Amino acid sequence: MNLRAIGALISKDFFLFFRNRFFALMTALGIFFYLAIYFLMPSSVDETLVIGLYAPVMPPAFELTEEEGLEFQMAESEVALKEAVIEGEYLAGIALPADIMDRFASGQKPRVNVYFASSVPEEMKDGVVVLIEELAYQETGLGLEASEPEILGPDMMGMQIPPRDRMRPLFAVFIMLFEVFGLAVLISEEVERRTIQALLVTPMTLKDLFAAKGAVGMTLAFGQAVLFMGIVGGMSQQPLIILATLLLGGVLVTGVGFLLAALGKDMMSVMGWFVIALVILVIPSFGVVFPGTVSGWAKVIPSYYLVDTVHRVSNFGAGWGDIGYNLLILLGFAVALVWIGIIALRRKLQ
Amino acid sequence: MAHDAIVAEELTYSYGELVAVDHISFHVAEGEILGFLGPNGAGKTTTVKMLTGLLKPKAGKAVLLGMDVAGNVEKVQGDIGVCFEDTNLYEQMSAVENLKLFARLFGIRPFDANALLKRVGLAGREKDRVETYSKGLKQRLMVARSMVNRPRVLFLDEPTAGLDPTSAEAIRNIILEERERGATVFLTTHDMLEADKLSDRVAFMNQGKIVALDTPHNLKQQYGKRALKAKIAARNGELEDREITLDTPETPQAIRELFDQEKVVTVHSEEASLEDIFIRLTGRGLYG
Repeated sequence: MNLRAIGALISKDFFLFFRNRFFALMTALGIFFYLAIYFLMPSSVDETLVIGLYAPVMPPAFELTEEEGLEFQMAESEVALKEAVIEGEYLAGIALPADIMDRFASGQKPRVNVYFASSVPEEMKDGVVVLIEELAYQETGLGLEASEPEILGPDMMGMQIPPRDRMRPLFAVFIMLFEVFGLAVLISEEVERRTIQALLVTPMTLKDLFAAKGAVGMTLAFGQAVLFMGIVGGMSQQPLIILATLLLGGVLVTGVGFLLAALGKDMMSVMGWFVIALVILVIPSFGVVFPGTVSGWAKVIPSYYLVDTVHRVSNFGAGWGDIGYNLLILLGFAVALVWIGIIALRRKLQ
Repeated sequence: MAHDAIVAEELTYSYGELVAVDHISFHVAEGEILGFLGPNGAGKTTTVKMLTGLLKPKAGKAVLLGMDVAGNVEKVQGDIGVCFEDTNLYEQMSAVENLKLFARLFGIRPFDANALLKRVGLAGREKDRVETYSKGLKQRLMVARSMVNRPRVLFLDEPTAGLDPTSAEAIRNIILEERERGATVFLTTHDMLEADKLSDRVAFMNQGKIVALDTPHNLKQQYGKRALKAKIAARNGELEDREITLDTPETPQAIRELFDQEKVVTVHSEEASLEDIFIRLTGRGLYG
């Protein structure tokens, strides 16, 4: 290894990276943008379900239920209730008839109108209907005698992860990938403009070149991700594990950067391949942001182990024992991708 | 007696089925300028790539400064300078930044970029970004970059192609200065006049083979056709051209008849150019 040449090339690449207004702006504004989104998002989760209620007469069961994570907000009329539901102020709107207590007393079934906005999921609608039926049973003395609820595993009541913390792994992957896009463009421009030939007729070898480019990619991706995670408090729990994970993530995306550079001929084609890579690699993040949306097959995507580890460690304080297996797989994927990227790039250069 | 700076022995390279360089052998002495001529696709650039360690020969070997290139690429590359045909500078950097980068790659310390830039006529523009330079200025910078490490062997691929006469002349002078310093120059060019003027010897390459290699004078003697060209006044008053080939048994008689029977207006002798010789040897021109 020619350390002198590697150092010279690293300095040159950073110099060119930040002299390129697009990349300089993308790097500076990118992290600012993600930080801004993060801090604008709610920092806590409100677990109370707010349901609008129009009740000329309030049955006692409805008043009791308010203590159990449900909040009833009273509407002045059934029309006002409908409008509020449409506006999204309530999850659902329940309109009780004026003679509800009389009907209960006479053993008749009162007719209750329930309103939902069109965007409310089907299971939520079913849940509200079941709730009304249960309240009616309670009102008539036929409520089920359920035991005290027993939570199997850690009780997450009141510990739900705020949306912005769920987004943290997604932002970290985005930041890393955008930085290696810059690396891929730098490499493809070296090839396109043939400056690489000028480098390779100096005492610098291809190995030195890959070492220098790898160091640049790693520094950009890892550095930015660490900065982001540090600012948003993602390293408050198990900072060493987070650093190790981001380091492996940096190696992984550097391999992706090499592949992009090998596939692309110029900035536009690199961008095309980058978009494809980005779409694939962010899929596992959606599984964290929207639980249940991504199936088990996402585990074949290398970034899954980066996202999952960052999520579990930064949001649940998972330790080495919990995520050791993840890190091993991430290491395997990272080494494989760098190796494939180098082979592809070497073929292109020769 | 000068040692050989470059030795090519049965050097061969092929791209798949296409044989780009076909068992060529030659040597270049230290301090010599060798003009390497040939049309596009003749194999010149591939030869340069093998000599500079960018390509590994499929057969044969290249020896530079006594070292086998294949086994000593980095050592060899520390002693050579290469100026490519296509401009491949870092255009977002200034001339000084470009040169300093390469000085660091070669491990040259201390390095006076400004002195080198002054030598190639770029004083005053050294801090401007290369993207603002004209082609001539970029070419001067390319030549300067190839000299950063004071190379013992300088490879110049079409260094004056497409340049204005002033820039071209400036670069030719630098080549001669480098030779004076003791550097060996491997000059690839399409410009026959330039090759004739600068080169100690020239090699003609065609379809992967060297078809001739000698001094320009010897090549002209060996393959050239000397001729006497005259303009005579015809009976209708117009001028007609006559050409008499020299160095043949019939030449004296033909000259006598010309002056006895015709009214000669002008007469001059003409020597074969390198281009004529190349066409004669290969059946095609340099740009074909």
